[in-house]
Amino acid sequence: MSDLLIIGAGLSGLMAAYTAVKAGLRVNVVSKGLGSMHWSAGTVDLLGYSPAQPQTAVKRPLEQIPALIEANPHHPYALLSNEHLAQTLATFVALSKDLGVPYGGAANPGDNLLLPSPAGAARPTYLAPKGQLAGDLSRSEPMLIVGFTGMRDFYPELIAENLTKLGYPARAAFLPLKLITQRHDSNTVQLAQGLDNKEQRALLGAALRKLVRPGERIGLPAILGMDAHMTLLAELERETNSLVFEIPTLPPSVPGVRLFKSLRRYLQEQGVRLTAGIEVITANLTAPNGVPGAVQWVESATSARPLKLRADKYLLATGGILGGGFNSDMHGRVWETIFNLPLTMPQDRANWFEPGFLATQGHPVFNGGVTVNQHFQPVTENGQLLYGNLWAAGNLLAQSDAILERSTEGTAIATGVAAAQALSS
Amino acid sequence: MFTKSWHSVGPSLDECIKCNICTSYCPVSAVTDLFPGPKYVGPQAQRFRENGQPQTPDHSVDYCSGCRVCNEVCPTGVKIAELNARARAQIMAEEGIPLRNRLLGRNETLGKIGSIAPGLANFGLHNSFSRVMAEKVMGIAREAPLPHWSTEGTFGDWVKKTQAVRLKSAKKVVYYHGCATMYYEPFIGKAAVAVFEHNGYEVLVPPQNCCGLPLLSNGEFDAATDYHQNNVNKLLVYAQAGLDIVGTSTSCTLTLKEEAPELLDFDTEQAKAITMATWDIFEWLRERHDHGELKTDFREINMVLPYHAPCQYRAHRVGKPAMDILTLIPGIDLRESQARCCGIAGTYGYKKEKYQIAMDVGAELFNFVADQGEAVEMTACDSETCRWQLEHGTDLPSRHPIEILAAAYGLYDLDKRDLINS
Amino acid sequence: MHKLKTEVLVIGGGATGTGVAWDAALRGFKVILVERRDLTHGTSGRYHGLLHSGGRYAVKDPHGAAECIAENKILRVTHAHCIEDTSGFFVVLPEDEGDFPDKFKAGCDAVGIPCTEIPVAEALRREPLLNPRISRVFEVPDGSSDSFLAAHATAQAARNAGAQILTYHEVTNLIMTGGDDNRRVAGAMVHNVVTGEEMEIHADITINAAGAWTGKLAAMAGIQITIMPSKGTMVAMNHRLVNTVVNRCKMPSDGDIIVPSHTVCVIGTTSINVPEPEPLRIEPWEVNKMLEEGDKMVPGFAQARVLRAWAGVRPLFQDTYTSGKGRDVTRKLALLDHQEREGVSGFLTITGGKWTTFRLMAEATVDDICRHLGTERPCTTATTPVPGAEQGNYWLGHRLHDIEEQHLQGQLVCECELVTRTMVENAARRNPLLTLDDLRRDVRLGKGPCQGGFCTYRAVGILHEMKNAGSWEVDMSDEAGSTAKWEVAYLQSPGHNLVSDADSHESSAEPANSADAFNPNLLLRDFLQERWKGVTPILWGRQLKQERLDELIYMSLMNVDHLPDKQLASPVTDFYHFDTTPTAEEVADV
Repeated sequence: MSDLLIIGAGLSGLMAAYTAVKAGLRVNVVSKGLGSMHWSAGTVDLLGYSPAQPQTAVKRPLEQIPALIEANPHHPYALLSNEHLAQTLATFVALSKDLGVPYGGAANPGDNLLLPSPAGAARPTYLAPKGQLAGDLSRSEPMLIVGFTGMRDFYPELIAENLTKLGYPARAAFLPLKLITQRHDSNTVQLAQGLDNKEQRALLGAALRKLVRPGERIGLPAILGMDAHMTLLAELERETNSLVFEIPTLPPSVPGVRLFKSLRRYLQEQGVRLTAGIEVITANLTAPNGVPGAVQWVESATSARPLKLRADKYLLATGGILGGGFNSDMHGRVWETIFNLPLTMPQDRANWFEPGFLATQGHPVFNGGVTVNQHFQPVTENGQLLYGNLWAAGNLLAQSDAILERSTEGTAIATGVAAAQALSS
Repeated sequence: MFTKSWHSVGPSLDECIKCNICTSYCPVSAVTDLFPGPKYVGPQAQRFRENGQPQTPDHSVDYCSGCRVCNEVCPTGVKIAELNARARAQIMAEEGIPLRNRLLGRNETLGKIGSIAPGLANFGLHNSFSRVMAEKVMGIAREAPLPHWSTEGTFGDWVKKTQAVRLKSAKKVVYYHGCATMYYEPFIGKAAVAVFEHNGYEVLVPPQNCCGLPLLSNGEFDAATDYHQNNVNKLLVYAQAGLDIVGTSTSCTLTLKEEAPELLDFDTEQAKAITMATWDIFEWLRERHDHGELKTDFREINMVLPYHAPCQYRAHRVGKPAMDILTLIPGIDLRESQARCCGIAGTYGYKKEKYQIAMDVGAELFNFVADQGEAVEMTACDSETCRWQLEHGTDLPSRHPIEILAAAYGLYDLDKRDLINS
Repeated sequence: MHKLKTEVLVIGGGATGTGVAWDAALRGFKVILVERRDLTHGTSGRYHGLLHSGGRYAVKDPHGAAECIAENKILRVTHAHCIEDTSGFFVVLPEDEGDFPDKFKAGCDAVGIPCTEIPVAEALRREPLLNPRISRVFEVPDGSSDSFLAAHATAQAARNAGAQILTYHEVTNLIMTGGDDNRRVAGAMVHNVVTGEEMEIHADITINAAGAWTGKLAAMAGIQITIMPSKGTMVAMNHRLVNTVVNRCKMPSDGDIIVPSHTVCVIGTTSINVPEPEPLRIEPWEVNKMLEEGDKMVPGFAQARVLRAWAGVRPLFQDTYTSGKGRDVTRKLALLDHQEREGVSGFLTITGGKWTTFRLMAEATVDDICRHLGTERPCTTATTPVPGAEQGNYWLGHRLHDIEEQHLQGQLVCECELVTRTMVENAARRNPLLTLDDLRRDVRLGKGPCQGGFCTYRAVGILHEMKNAGSWEVDMSDEAGSTAKWEVAYLQSPGHNLVSDADSHESSAEPANSADAFNPNLLLRDFLQERWKGVTPILWGRQLKQERLDELIYMSLMNVDHLPDKQLASPVTDFYHFDTTPTAEEVADV
């Protein structure tokens, strides 16, 4: 039996595991599958757009967050002080170095980066892996965006044209896909694994050298190696005598996979047990009247008898609608699938959506979630503690639409760490 | 296929959100273009197969090894490996099953035949001429690690011989040995019996037959149905008496628990009773340990032990119980393999056209073992075919964790692979 | 102003209009067809997908049923590749018993619709998900049809015979000549929706095949035609829960047919009078009703993943208006000779009918054209297969089969529906393609579970590359539009699209399509919105999770809401922006 059972192996679950194991707890992480790190850009979005000004990218997120909280006192960021938030991010940066996938921020500390998106827009984000940093659009070097003919998940001409329209000079070029793979069909992860190969790396470097002009920096799809990524980056920069940066692609996200794999390995080395393919479907709860109840155990389905998982403490980090922690039906009900924790979104389909897909105010159904107290423990709408040994963290928390605000990883990391700190003390 | 089992699994294709996580982790599509990946052949292609089509539209699904990494990493619960298994069965139903696959499916029969004169059988099979012929005629890869028949007699022989001297107790357990233990590796069974008895259990080894998994994997559903029904008939009385049916082969126990009932639409109360009574041995030992019932009078075994959990554990969905128990043994430096699959995948790696793919898939594991250093003497894995593949790919002996445990109790010799006081 | 002159002007690019153009062109007439948006923009692109055996009408409308079975046989040959031979069941649930089933059988026999009662066990063997409480099953030759491919192939046939097909050309007025007692329709004033230009088309005879817009068009000639738009909502499920058309064996009503259509199955439909053919709201009670009714035929239907909902309008013609539910008003085809009825010459209206009888409607129309123009030319459409028909009937696995045989996995752009890059490129070069929605109709892009989540970006990237290379050259000026290629019959087969037309095209220095309408950011945003509007009525559970992933991709990852050219809008796609989200009142009704 462990001290802490974390349900969910996304960024918040894993950062909670990191925090807890450092505090000396025996940690067990179970998850149905792998999570949204595999789909996102691999950056740490802290706050990209605030609801008050949806058209303008936030320049300095930590300075903007107090205003965000004032307008929305139930935002997950309200659970943390600014110092705490900054500290947690610093912890993440330090950890990323230990993981071998170092993250960094803008040249002017405290600024958001503006990184090229795969469509050629400017994405505001706070921290990015080293491999993406040279793409910061606050830099002045013109960009050469290089793609591979027939690679279906990346379009350099579109990116270059849009960046240029936005005022960031860029031009596009193609290299043959055969240069970096002999396969007929590759997804981005397979392409990246192919580029771990020394010969392929050399071929790519030589080809880029012929394309680049002096003073340019080179943007490539995020497939620059999996295990050999940092080496490949350095090689390419040396070979071309230019800065090289990755642009994230359609899922699967190679930067996300790099972060996930390295974090998972690190945690395992620290003694954390991580098991995927375990779907927790129900919990055995006691809830005597008037007193917070307790989680006795949780259960997952197996090929025969249900498996009972026990721990002293439980942390729910199952990610909401996208993560699978919430389900919904045609009658407008949305529910949390394990503990049936109360959720704040409208229980009525009429109020779930805006007519426009890209509506600036977002869709209310995605804004709701689990309400927690300042110790990250789920509470009723009256603020009553539900279960004495249950905590919750991540993007399942109520009152923010992290995709709309571009705060997904910031929320995940900050609340994952803080919840683990709360339960460890 | 018109079985109900399509419908236990077919609807799971609705869960797919096309995210590609499965394809990113699939060890087979990582090494070969012949397999486009689990998302493509599973939930995606499934929408293009259905009943009543003039022909099966696809073939690349045949390269799915059934390792289930896809199921494990899928965030929404698509039963990809099961979808693929049924699609393969459908292809075989249409195109017929090659003789090679029929042969590989009949593990028990082959076992029986060879054990009549095991020395001769081993000689006959394990020489280069035979292997080359087997490859040319049957398509069985000449280098694939086929087992050796036991020359010390079958496990069944040993059970009969030692009937009188084995422990009698009020606490009883039924041991399901499976074909590999019976004909090729009776020492696994002996180690298991030693561990059960050390913990005070009388071991019953009632009549039982092959679980039928190789038949299922090769699409012979009718034959597999007979096998499973026979097992249900033979073992039901024990299940109904509240006895646990415990096995040392993760593939056999999975077949009894879930694979056979699900693939064959065995919806009966009896089949369910068998499911609920079946345990993998380390799953069972862990349960005993959780109740404080497991004896922990271990000797120290000082070794670096790379452990590889076989793919079937993904389907058992009970975690990696052997790790939970082996870490109790003082001195063992247990190294958990993160490798996705050893490659053999049941009968997959034995097929000529798949042998190299299997070795390429297994390279991740072989390299992991090599990375654990020079001091490593042996590896551990719960599935017999994985052990044979591990030995083939690492040139190191491979042991079932139950052998390690029996040795830790002082009852078993890991090098000789035999009981100490036999 | 640009002026065109022709013999026959067909207004409306649905099944009927393209059918008329085809028939008339085959008979040697000079034909121009104008359609305000893309082919099948109207009802033909929003219907159930059913090739009627006629069984549904055998009791209530034997004449209509006879027409159906005759045309059913013909279309299986002329439009073979647009038809899937699914067969059809009429199932009797316990609540449907009574004498209707026997009347049904008798009705089929009387009309000549092959109808065999099969053992329930046999039906359940073929369709394991059917309700085991079904007591009787009749098998009839229903089929599943692809109206998009059919209209395109028919247009191609017309084009090959010399017709001109002008899509994105909207009739703004009819050209009227003569005095009070000899009024004549001499053609139409047409507005090019893309370029904004006006043109005139002068014709010896003008055919009103405008479907749900028939009344509006006739009004331009001062003629009153009462068309009662009757909305029908349909719901598509993520995969084929049945592979045979399943009908309830009872008097027709809401939600009593499930049609397997390509990779999905569609349950429909409702029948609600609406004032206008556009925009159409889908109300929650309609969706709930469809799922409940589906559950009766296939238990568990309502728990399966719902993919999309849409509504089409049946243009029901009433000679005199009486109050009544839409379904009871005649579905008969109605050919209105306005010279006889209102004294307006040069103008015919063809309305009513159902998709299955479109060829017959066209035949009747062109026979009348012959009469009016004083010539006698026989109809040959019944025995003239359209381009592509030699591929034989559609079967569900054919795309997967092609991909497997030709190893095209690496080419996939829309992975859900197995659309390759070459199919996209060829669609862009072989018919006027303006938006991703056109591409959707051409090759099924975006129609699968992810509803465009992955393929929208890829398709935009590809079209943008083609634009830059000069190989996506949609020139919608009237000179070019009138000679536009229509080579669409093979677009849906990966195996027939191994070579890209774009490859052989020589890049020009000038990029094509610099018009705003072809701006990639606009195309991207517009298609995302188009897909969204069809899912909000059914968005919960698994599809809601899918949409959230699509949001992650397009917002978090791509930041498409902050791409340049935000101010651009296209007149061609303005109808994507109406609100389909359920209102509180609608939800309360459920």
